[in-house]
Amino acid sequence: MPVRNELLAGAKDITPLAIGVGIYGLAFGVLAAQAGMDGLHTGMMSAIVFAGSSQIVAIERIVAGAGAGAAVIAGIALNLRLLLITASLRDQFRGRPAWQVALGAHMAADENWAMMHAAQNAGRPAGYWYFVGGGLVQFVLWIAATATGAVLASAIPEPRALGIDFAFAAAFIAILRGLWRGAAIDLLPWGVSVAVAAAMVGLTPLDPSWSLIAAGLSGAVAAGLRGRG
Amino acid sequence: MAVADFWFITLSLAAATFSLRLGGYLLGRRLPAHGGWAAAFRALPGTIIVALVTVILMRGGPAEWAAALVSAAVAGVSRSLPLTMIAGIGAVVLFRHLA
Repeated sequence: MPVRNELLAGAKDITPLAIGVGIYGLAFGVLAAQAGMDGLHTGMMSAIVFAGSSQIVAIERIVAGAGAGAAVIAGIALNLRLLLITASLRDQFRGRPAWQVALGAHMAADENWAMMHAAQNAGRPAGYWYFVGGGLVQFVLWIAATATGAVLASAIPEPRALGIDFAFAAAFIAILRGLWRGAAIDLLPWGVSVAVAAAMVGLTPLDPSWSLIAAGLSGAVAAGLRGRG
Repeated sequence: MAVADFWFITLSLAAATFSLRLGGYLLGRRLPAHGGWAAAFRALPGTIIVALVTVILMRGGPAEWAAALVSAAVAGVSRSLPLTMIAGIGAVVLFRHLA
């Protein structure tokens, strides 16, 4: 598929999720305003970090009175999963020039990555440019929404009141439906992942980011040890 | 927040985040492309997202669990992302109101 078509397909498919990203961006902007950031600073942070949940956690720590170092560490902990996300993009990145690897790496987010795998699983031609197309839509929208949120902070309602906080949970459930390759392949790794995540969140005081990584890895290891799928 | 703090947080978070993004790829590239390793990599998207949903739901309560069931049912029948999101948001508003 030509580059342009693949970019556009990725951009189109991400749209429902991008609306969610936009709403979350507004919410982050409101938080950033509480931390004393203006629209310009908020937009700059969104462009160079471009990792929504870690920005939210870091700035939430600042608003809660934590120091800058603690805020950064909390944000980094949440981003450890990106290591696994780009590790699984090796086939899409392999053999590309350095600027495309760097662009693809910076565009790596949960949503476009999950969409790409779901599209591939449905037998559609979705590779590097599909992934980047979705990422660019999220990137532009995230910067615009977070800056707008910081400027209009006082006029924006709380997302939870509108049920919007559940939007990503629902979206990931839909994406899981697309990723499911049948019980013979996925029941074991997914079951291990759910069990490890539930046990770690329920039984340990660790930050949920660690549970997420341990669970994702345990499930993948289970699939690897079985050696098929 | 002071301007110096803003730049410290933004630049260190950006540097660490980009290192993780690039580092993951460099790490993944060095691992074998067949057999057990390949099976593990193919399983990763599903195992991470199913863990993410588990963590989100464990922080929620009965309203979120019920809304997740509605979302799963709609996803199973429709296989549509926007429909599942609308159903999930609608369900969580309804169940939170009832709870």
